[in-house]
Amino acid sequence: MPRSIWNGTVAFGLVRVPVKLYSATESKRIPLRERHGQDGAAIEHRRVCVKEGKEVPYSEVVKGYEVSEGSYVVLTKEEVASAEGPEAHVVEIEHFVDREQIDPAYYERSYYLGPGKLGEEAYVLLRAALERSGRAGIGRFVFHNKAHLVAIRTVGEAIVLHTMRFADELSWGEELERPQPEKQPSKLELDTAQLLLAQLDAEFEPESYANTYRDAVMAMIEKKAKGEAIEAPESARIAPEGDLLGALEASLAKTGGAKKPKRRSAAAGRGSKTPGGDNGPKAPAGGKTPKTAAGGKGGKVPQKGDTRTRGGS
Amino acid sequence: MARSLWTGSLSFGLVTVPVGLYSAVRDRDIHFNLLHGPDSSPIETRRVCAHEQTEVPWGEIVKGYELQDGRWVLLSDADLEAAAPRKSHTIDIEAFVEEREIDPLYLDRPYLLVPENEVAARAYALLSEAMASSGKVALGRFVMRAKENLVSIRPRGGLLALTTMRFHDEVRPSTEIVKDLEEAPAPSEEEIENAIAIIAELEVPFEPDGYRDEHRAHLEAIIKRKRKGQKIAVPKQEPTKPAEPAPVAPDLMGALEESLARIRGQAPDKHGTSGTAKAASKAGTSGTAKAAGKAGTAGKTKTAAKPKRKAPAAKKAPAKRTGGAKRA
Repeated sequence: MPRSIWNGTVAFGLVRVPVKLYSATESKRIPLRERHGQDGAAIEHRRVCVKEGKEVPYSEVVKGYEVSEGSYVVLTKEEVASAEGPEAHVVEIEHFVDREQIDPAYYERSYYLGPGKLGEEAYVLLRAALERSGRAGIGRFVFHNKAHLVAIRTVGEAIVLHTMRFADELSWGEELERPQPEKQPSKLELDTAQLLLAQLDAEFEPESYANTYRDAVMAMIEKKAKGEAIEAPESARIAPEGDLLGALEASLAKTGGAKKPKRRSAAAGRGSKTPGGDNGPKAPAGGKTPKTAAGGKGGKVPQKGDTRTRGGS
Repeated sequence: MARSLWTGSLSFGLVTVPVGLYSAVRDRDIHFNLLHGPDSSPIETRRVCAHEQTEVPWGEIVKGYELQDGRWVLLSDADLEAAAPRKSHTIDIEAFVEEREIDPLYLDRPYLLVPENEVAARAYALLSEAMASSGKVALGRFVMRAKENLVSIRPRGGLLALTTMRFHDEVRPSTEIVKDLEEAPAPSEEEIENAIAIIAELEVPFEPDGYRDEHRAHLEAIIKRKRKGQKIAVPKQEPTKPAEPAPVAPDLMGALEESLARIRGQAPDKHGTSGTAKAASKAGTSGTAKAAGKAGTAGKTKTAAKPKRKAPAAKKAPAKRTGGAKRA
C-alpha cells in the first residue's frame, strides 16, 4: 500500500468526505548527480555570506524580499509559512465545472485521493456523483503551507486531485515574435497533409511509448563503466526542408507502405487508457468511440471521404 | 522577448519544421533571496569540490551516475546527447490521437512552439491547419536537458502548444488505493441523486480568470505589513497534532439534504429553474422540501433530517460539526 502524504476531508456543500492524498506520479529519471569533472569528486553546495565570505549555518538563513536594489524585507521561515494560517486540512470545493472545459495547460500536479478513515461510503458517493455528472470539482486546499487551486475528478475507480495553474501563470504566446509564411499552404498541400495525418491516426496507448532514451543512457553508462570511451557523433541537426509538397508525398509513400506497423492493429488490443491498469478503465467522458478504419492500410488515394471527415469545416 | 529553451526540428513524415520551444508558464511566484540573518547580507551558493575543498567553476561540473559498487561513471553533456542524437534535436511526430483520450494524469508542463523563420512558418502553418481541421493532437518524443519527453502537440491561439507528458510507468496505478472500496456500503440511489443535484447547483462555466492566487496575495500582504514595520503574528504551529476527534462515519443523507436546502435558500434564482426544480421535485418526498422551508435560518436547525439508516455511532455527532464549516 502506498503511503499517504496528507489526510483531510473533501467538503462540498455540507458533505464531508474523509480522504487521504497519494502521489499519482513518480519520476523515472536516471539519478544523476553533479560531480567534479577533474577528479570525479562530489560537489557540495555551500551557502556563503557575501559580506563575510564565510559559510552560513542553516539556522542563520532568512528569506529576503527585494523591494529595491539591494534592499530587502526580511522574513523568517515561520513568517513565510504563516501566510496561510494553520492548516485546515480541508479541500473546499467551490464549484463544479464541465471537465471538457478545462484546458490541459491548467493541470499542474496529479494526486490520487483515497478514502480516509470511515470515509468509504462518502467516497463512493462522491465518486459516483462526479462520474455520473461528468463534472470536476474546483476548490482549494492548503498543502505544504501553500494554498492551491485544485480540480477533482474521477479516473477509473479513483478520484484524482490535480493542482491547477492560475490563469495569469499561463502564456499563450501573445508576446512571442511569430515569423509568418510568405505564402500560405496550398489546398493541395493541405489535402496531402490531411492524408498523412490520417495515416498516422492512432489511439492513445500510453504503454506503447517506452522511454528508450533512459535505456540508451543506461546502456552507455554500462559501457563506460567497463572503461570504454564514448564517441560523440557529429551534429544531428537536419536542414530545413524546402519542397513541402514533395516531402509530404514522399512521407505518404513511406508511411503508407509496409512501414505502417502496429498502430491500428495494436490499438485493437484497446486496453485501458487510464492508468491504474486493471481497475476498469472508464475513459474520461465520451472517450473513445470505436473508429472506422479510415487511414488504415497502405496505398490510399486522396479522396474526400478518406481524409478524416470528422473535423469538418 | 522570451528566450527559447530548446531549438530543433518538428518532424512529421519527411517534413521538418525548425522551431523554438518556449515555456507557456509564466513565473508569478514571489521570490525570496536567501540572506544571512545577523547582517542581512545576501547569500551565495558556491559549488565546492568535496575532495579539493576549492570552488569549482561551472565548466568543470559534469554529471555522475553511481554504480552499485560505489564507483562513479562521469557523463559529459556530449555523452548524454550521444545516447540519442536525433531525439536531442528533433521532435518526431509518431501518431495523431483524439485529445480526450489523453488523460490529464499524463500531462506535465505546457510549452509553445514557434517557427524559426519564414520558410519554417509555411510548413508550420500547414501542420497547424491540418491538425485544426482534423481535431487531432500529435504525439511525439524528444530529448531536452538529458530527459526524454513524450509530448502532445495541438493548435492553440495561432500557435502549436506542446505539453510534455509522463511515460506510462511514471503514472502510478490506483489499484491499491481503492481496493478496499469494493466492500464499502454502496450509497443509495437517492443519495447519489442528491449529490448530483448539489453539483448541478454549484455548477459554473470554467472561468480560470476568476480564481486568484491567494497564496501570492497572502505573501504580498505579509511583505507589505512587514515593510511598514508591523509585527507578523506567527500562529503557533502545534508541534503535535491536536487530538483528533474520534472518527465517525458521516451522516451522508442529512448532510446532502441540508446542503441542498442551504444552497437553494441562498441563491434561489441563480441557475435557472430547470435543474433545481427537477431535483427538488425528485427529492421532494424525503427531507428536502421540509429542510428547504427552514433554509433561511439554516444554521440553527441542523438536527439531521432523518435518523440515519445505518445505526452505529451515527448518533448526530457528525451533523453538528458541519455548523461552522461553510461560510454563511
